[in-house]
Amino acid sequence: MIRLMKRKHIQHLFWRVGFGILPEANDTLSKKSKKAIVNQIFKDSQYVIPLKIDTSEIDKFLNSDQVMVAENRKKLQKLSREKTIDLNVSWINRLKHSEAILREKMTLFWANVFVCEDNNVVYIQQFNNTLRQHALGHFGDFVKAISKEAAMTKYLNTKQNRKQSPNENFARELMELFTLGEGHYTEEDIKESARAFTGYSHNLKGEFVFRNRTHDIGNKTFFGKTGNFTGDDIIDIILEEKQCAKYICEKVYRYFVNDTINENHVNEMVAVFYGDYDIEKLMRFVLLSDWFYDEENMGSKIKSPIEFLVGMNTIVPFTFQNKKQLLYLQKQLGQMLLHPPNVAGWKGGKSWIDSNTVVLRLKLPSLILNNAYISKAKNNASDFKETKKAAFKKQYGRFIKTVANWEVFNTNFDEVTMEAMDEYILNCDIQKEARVYLNTLDKGSKQEYCIQLMSLPEYQMC
Amino acid sequence: MDRRKFIKHSTLASSLFFVPSFVKGFEQVASNRLGYKRLVIIQLSGGNDGLNTVVPYRNDLYYKARPKLAIPQNKIINLNDELGLHPSLTPLKRLYDNGCLSIINNVGYPNPVRSHFRSMDVWQTASDANTFSQTGWLGRYLDRYGKHPYSAIEIDDSLSLALKGEHLNGIATQNPKVLYNLSKDPYFKNIGTHYNDAHLSEHNLGYLYKTMIEAQSSAQYIFETSKTGTNKMEYPNNKFGNQLKTTAQLINSGLETKVFYTSLGGFDTHVNQLNTQGRLLKMYAEGIETFVNDLKLNNTFKDTLILTFSEFGRRVEQNANVGTDHGTANAVFVVGDQLKKQGIYNGMASLSDLDDIGDLKFEIDFRTIYATVLNKWLDVDDESVLKRSFTSLDFI
Repeated sequence: MIRLMKRKHIQHLFWRVGFGILPEANDTLSKKSKKAIVNQIFKDSQYVIPLKIDTSEIDKFLNSDQVMVAENRKKLQKLSREKTIDLNVSWINRLKHSEAILREKMTLFWANVFVCEDNNVVYIQQFNNTLRQHALGHFGDFVKAISKEAAMTKYLNTKQNRKQSPNENFARELMELFTLGEGHYTEEDIKESARAFTGYSHNLKGEFVFRNRTHDIGNKTFFGKTGNFTGDDIIDIILEEKQCAKYICEKVYRYFVNDTINENHVNEMVAVFYGDYDIEKLMRFVLLSDWFYDEENMGSKIKSPIEFLVGMNTIVPFTFQNKKQLLYLQKQLGQMLLHPPNVAGWKGGKSWIDSNTVVLRLKLPSLILNNAYISKAKNNASDFKETKKAAFKKQYGRFIKTVANWEVFNTNFDEVTMEAMDEYILNCDIQKEARVYLNTLDKGSKQEYCIQLMSLPEYQMC
Repeated sequence: MDRRKFIKHSTLASSLFFVPSFVKGFEQVASNRLGYKRLVIIQLSGGNDGLNTVVPYRNDLYYKARPKLAIPQNKIINLNDELGLHPSLTPLKRLYDNGCLSIINNVGYPNPVRSHFRSMDVWQTASDANTFSQTGWLGRYLDRYGKHPYSAIEIDDSLSLALKGEHLNGIATQNPKVLYNLSKDPYFKNIGTHYNDAHLSEHNLGYLYKTMIEAQSSAQYIFETSKTGTNKMEYPNNKFGNQLKTTAQLINSGLETKVFYTSLGGFDTHVNQLNTQGRLLKMYAEGIETFVNDLKLNNTFKDTLILTFSEFGRRVEQNANVGTDHGTANAVFVVGDQLKKQGIYNGMASLSDLDDIGDLKFEIDFRTIYATVLNKWLDVDDESVLKRSFTSLDFI
């Protein structure tokens, strides 16, 4: 007999691999088995569609054979800054609309593992697409590709890493942040492996260039092995360490399952991942496991700012009239895509939340979707509500100008009863005390009630 | 427990009266208890050119390295036989003359990073150049000694890493009224009113509720208290002036806040530096003098220490665009009226002994300044905040 999936489990699954799900889609899927649904998710993500904005003006500079004069370099930087805003907006749009939801969510995940930033938009776009390309591929190939990205050789100074004057920055972060975690290597390992990554560079177009002249071909001793290792060899040796599989599985677990590690679950994951380093296989194992749907894992995570913004858009699609407001909000909420705080990335979890971000998060659904207005007490006349809404808009809404498309919401929630709405909009139970208060309120329309639900701390959970 | 802490604890039991050898210490404690010591940080973002701020105007190497950028001797505001201030800093000279300014030269850290973001991180977290900390030095101070988010306030829209702790974060606001209005929706008050924190404080949802309730009460406290504070000076009409005005208002209202964080940006002068830096330094100096006078008129200056830093200084040699590129060591300004060492704290960096890239070699680790401020001004254990022991300096 096929075990059908519960609506609640489907919602949990789609929040973790994506940014939530609408009632109609959920109802359709609830007639399918877990295996069928998970298979479909992977099928939808099998192709890689690169994210590409129009960079022709910049390409002109980068494709030129001539040495760039200072003036052009300045022009390039300015153009690049403007285009990086476009890339940020395109990425968010991709997250909102892509069919390949898992690949996109994984891209976002990897962007916070292989953290990188660059002021050249062409290089950072290319880097972003490398994340997308390998997001479900072989982890070893992935790390090797990352090590050769123009943006990465700039960000962690591999470019300056020469035989005569080694720079250890990349070698250190490769082990500390990308593959093993602190304490699983020695300073000597860093010194020796840095020598293997000498000669890494790139041309103006952003293609990898290996400079023989500055590469150290001598013997290196790394993790007890000696040889004239290249960078790729070093990565292969790292992969032999079980700790590498464990380190990545823990990251996957914290991101997709629970902030708090369950050793048994992670060990099961390591058994699947170590050796093959097949990311797709690992993710399939996680999404099909029983424990992924354990009560303690559902609705237990705090949404990242991007999950919060894009997830709101799943229920009620909206656009900003001025794209800079989208960037401003990312900054205020503490996660501006393409601008990580440092090479360690965003810490996530509770650290998303401080006095300022919690206030903004709670207020934002009403600011974006309802002229800043959340609720009215029972028995108030409806015309009063309109005046009050106008007053709210005047007070808070001046800044944020959005166009919300309630059609999608109306169609999807047409069949959903008022009583069941919270189950579709929230991922965890409402606090008893908050529920009592909510019941004293006039729910008004489904739209009004949706705003009330989105303004609860519970809405911050996924 | 160090001596200072011991004294502090024992005062509570009044046992100190019977310990004559501690009498001197007691006086110190008494004054601490009477006053409410605050720290104001001013961050000059972008990397202020220290060499054109505190100028070695008798040094030929300075003029040789900067044929188009050096400030001519006749325009310098002389401090002593070697050093002078940028001509835009006349207001700062008045603070200097009144003994309210200590200039700490040549401040930096080992293996300096020349990236804005990274170097700012280093200054804000007090970490080494090659380690990454996700908590700021003031955030860790809050973790140990803060009680509420408003124990540290950043006058901005969002919170810097400097004020983020492991367990407690500061709060950011440009305008207490806006923050209060944003948080005071009756909806949030009502859902939080009956919230029973006991069950859930360990969970993420509980943490959200807890932070929401704290934010509401902090925003309300800041707004309502700040209303009673006044400014007795007219501030320069610019963003930085407004930040200092708000800070003074909050201080003068008696708000129980230990740390205020402000910033002035735009110092990344790769191109045509002279005008830009002149304008910014004028803004800085006029702002800070007004601020000090305002606090003096409200009798709050004596309990306030103002620390100014930038994430790095700039290269000794000018570049091809009449500007300067990212460098290393820089001057830090300490303003207050309880300075132990007024004027110039230490000598200028050598301009002949530079590093490989042509940058100054630092002499004073900025973390020794933090340690001094924590230990001697905020009266806390600096080692637990900085996670390492640094030798204190004696400017306060």
